[in-house]
Amino acid sequence: MILAVSGKGGVGKTTISAIASKALLEKGERSLIVDADPAGGLAMALDITPVKTLNDVRKEIIAEVKEGKRDERDLAVSLDYLLAEALTERGPLAFLSIGRPEDAGCYCKVNVILKDAIEGLAGQFASTIVDAEAGIEQVNRQVLGPVDYVLLVSDTSAKGVKVAETIRDVAKKFAPSAKCGLVINRARGADDALAAASRTDVDYLGFVPEDPTVREFDDEARSFLELPDCPAQDAIKAALSTAGLI
Amino acid sequence: MGLFDAQINELRASIDAWQEAGRLVTFDLAGLRDWPRGETLVLEEDCGLELGNPSTASITFLMWADPGVVDGRKVRLVGPDAGDAGGGTIPFAQVIVAGGEFADEYEAFRDLRDTVYDVRLEGFMPRSLPSRQTTWCRVSNAALAGGFSLGHLGAALVDDIMELDNVSGAEVLFVTGSVIEVNSLSGTAAGARRVVDALMKMYTEKNFDCTTCEYKDVCDSVMELKDIRRKLAEERT
Repeated sequence: MILAVSGKGGVGKTTISAIASKALLEKGERSLIVDADPAGGLAMALDITPVKTLNDVRKEIIAEVKEGKRDERDLAVSLDYLLAEALTERGPLAFLSIGRPEDAGCYCKVNVILKDAIEGLAGQFASTIVDAEAGIEQVNRQVLGPVDYVLLVSDTSAKGVKVAETIRDVAKKFAPSAKCGLVINRARGADDALAAASRTDVDYLGFVPEDPTVREFDDEARSFLELPDCPAQDAIKAALSTAGLI
Repeated sequence: MGLFDAQINELRASIDAWQEAGRLVTFDLAGLRDWPRGETLVLEEDCGLELGNPSTASITFLMWADPGVVDGRKVRLVGPDAGDAGGGTIPFAQVIVAGGEFADEYEAFRDLRDTVYDVRLEGFMPRSLPSRQTTWCRVSNAALAGGFSLGHLGAALVDDIMELDNVSGAEVLFVTGSVIEVNSLSGTAAGARRVVDALMKMYTEKNFDCTTCEYKDVCDSVMELKDIRRKLAEERT
């Protein structure tokens, strides 16, 4: 099962990805966690410092291609090795970061490698969570092609819900078999969340309340893998359960 | 004359020295062919032994020769076997030499290499980086508990290589003893790599201008490469 967490920037995707990662860790299943946002927020939320990112892998593969001494089979084998170097492991969780390209230019090549990485690696894990870049860019580039479920996150704003709906529409085009569900984050209550969710026909999974424990973990840069039971965590688990993901 | 005469002679000298020092074990392959095949993802938490982790010494290379040079199936080990290593991370070298009648050296290289890449055993996760001639393998706790031996890996490698057309022999040498022992093969590995790189360049770039070629020294010392170059140049004209 590959779950992509997507939505407008600043709506709390990374926090929800981190708490969803913890839910999978508690389940004890082998899970791959992919920080596909170049900002690298999920790594921080899980207190992981990757020694190598997908962007580093990209640079090494490009160097090998430029050298011209390796054919496609060698490059494919090399990619497996370099991806293994890029994995950070925490028990049954394996973490992969897209990284932040240092050179100017678009992230297209990184995204292509990301897609290969997700397809190749995800099949070996029971579950995969992809904390996607804000907006529709990665969906649009079919980076999320093999995804089974797109968890759309929005705050209560009309703009946030609209972006979630747009991502759903794009995902339907490029990943037609993927299901989509909406979580309203940082809602003041059920009525507040329902009012926001009623602006779209995206399947509504539930809401995550404002939670001082989550804010404290965020403020202190503590790992969400150590988050104690709290209302936000319960709500995220309930939403994942409603979607049939845990 | 073969492409790897110099490197195979060096390897033989190393093997003889290890034999004399009582460091060399040759596996009896008869009971080592039953390990199940299959792809396994071995995460750290399930890993009982790492071989050639990037933090330690690791070398892998492949050579081939005439049937008279390599005949039959042999798997040798210098150092502890997987179950005797005590877990953790140990240095690792894997050297493969195949013997046979190879009409096309480049085809032979690709067939042999792909065969080695394709060997997958349950509980054993190999990763290779050809440009650095390194391999990094993990053996799961379950595999170790089930009696996994490098002999199983060696048997699978030689058996699969022997299934290739015109192959009459295959030898595998594993070294797990120490960083020094693994690194003692680095010169031989570098020489083998230069030969393979020169061969790949001839076939992929079709550049026969020796005056500008970075592998001129290799071709000057390996007659077989000169013959291949002459044959390819004639085909082009």
